[in-house]
Amino acid sequence: MRGVSDLAARFADYARERMPGASEIRVEDLERIFGGASRETWRLRLCYRDAGGRAEERRLILRRDPIGSLIETDRRIEFLAYRAFHRSAVPVPEALWLEEDPRWLEQPFFVMEELAGLESRPQMLLAPPYAEHCEKLGVQKWTILGEIAKADPEALGLIEAMERVSPDTAWRRELDHWEGVLDADEVCPQPIIRAAIRWLRRNPPPPAQRIAVVHADYRTGNFLFDTEGRIRAILDWEMAHLGDPLEDLAWSLNRIWCWARDERRGALLPKERAVRIWEESSGLRADARALHWWELFSCVKGQGIWVSSAREYESGKNQDPVLALAAWMQMNAQDRAALELMGQLA
Amino acid sequence: MLEVCATALMLDVAPHVAPSYRQSSVFASAILLTCIREELDRIASRRVEENRALRALFAGAAPGIEEASLRERLARAGAEDDADLRISALEARNAALRDLLIELHAHVEEQDSAEARRVEAVIWRELAASTARRKLGLNAF
Repeated sequence: MRGVSDLAARFADYARERMPGASEIRVEDLERIFGGASRETWRLRLCYRDAGGRAEERRLILRRDPIGSLIETDRRIEFLAYRAFHRSAVPVPEALWLEEDPRWLEQPFFVMEELAGLESRPQMLLAPPYAEHCEKLGVQKWTILGEIAKADPEALGLIEAMERVSPDTAWRRELDHWEGVLDADEVCPQPIIRAAIRWLRRNPPPPAQRIAVVHADYRTGNFLFDTEGRIRAILDWEMAHLGDPLEDLAWSLNRIWCWARDERRGALLPKERAVRIWEESSGLRADARALHWWELFSCVKGQGIWVSSAREYESGKNQDPVLALAAWMQMNAQDRAALELMGQLA
Repeated sequence: MLEVCATALMLDVAPHVAPSYRQSSVFASAILLTCIREELDRIASRRVEENRALRALFAGAAPGIEEASLRERLARAGAEDDADLRISALEARNAALRDLLIELHAHVEEQDSAEARRVEAVIWRELAASTARRKLGLNAF
């Protein structure tokens, strides 16, 4: 790929194939934006004339697989998750096209609508005009998470796309996966996380109350909000899978997301309040012992992500400085979070 | 100097960089320089301090370990010193010592004795201290 203008031309060719009734198709203002390290994210305006000759314009987001990424994910599942939740109680942007043939843009990609003028950065919650809306955003955040837990994966059409798991083995599959990631990618020994893994295996959680869609990266930073304190879209479904809904709740409560340096999880609400809201919304119970297990598991999973980003950066496959920064800053925080949960933080 | 570079990147360079993705990379690079500045002063001392702490822990634990192979490796590691103070050498020794710590920790967890609980408590204190040594001022937690 020879630069932005080449990408724009090739995407316009793709749009012509996808929109046979349209004419004068062109791509304007193509710009790479920061959208997480697991996909290249591009913003663009697609301009064209419809079948009736009327000038139209759509603001789109193009998510393309990079050479290296924080997380090895499945773009089809991410695309299908967006499709499944569109126009439901879980706000998501409209997913338009999934393309797995590399002949168009060299790598697989998918396209969705852009929701412009919104914010996602956690640090923006620490000052006006967003700081005054933290409580309101928190209520929505955990209510929406309850809606995801409540949704029927079969009715959503996701049961065929995602690997099935039973209520009593969901924990083991996830723990096996993330321990495998650590085995493969750790760049230095992880004595705290290894101790956490041994504890988790000795003390398995009760079976899941139900098998639900797990977003798997549900946290402040992965949703769009506006200046009125409304959550407008839940993003980054690339790790979505079927599993125990407590996995999502625990991940959303992970200490490393305490951006405001206080007890508010995700810089929004204290843990107890967030759990109550989730219970009311989902109709499920967050059993204290089970939630504790999943919170400690979240530390293992988090460390899996951070060591993978360190490995990716060190290997030279992807030298986005965000990878190095995330690994350096979060590995220590994740260790401290695990120690706290095990009652060992001095 | 690193702080000056980081500040210049954040305040003078980043605002003029487009597109926004490149601007985010410049910001991340500036924060990385800030982290490096914090780490630079302690880079050797924290590794030497931690290697010494681990060796003292192994030397104290070895006599109470019944399994001969592990006891011998603990005693041997406990008697070593950091002769080579290059960061790469200190880092390599630290990795080897932390691997041994993981093995010792898993071993004592399986033992049902007061000595095992004592060693386990010492290990947890050292693990907590290890995170304090590595903590960055910019960390939210």
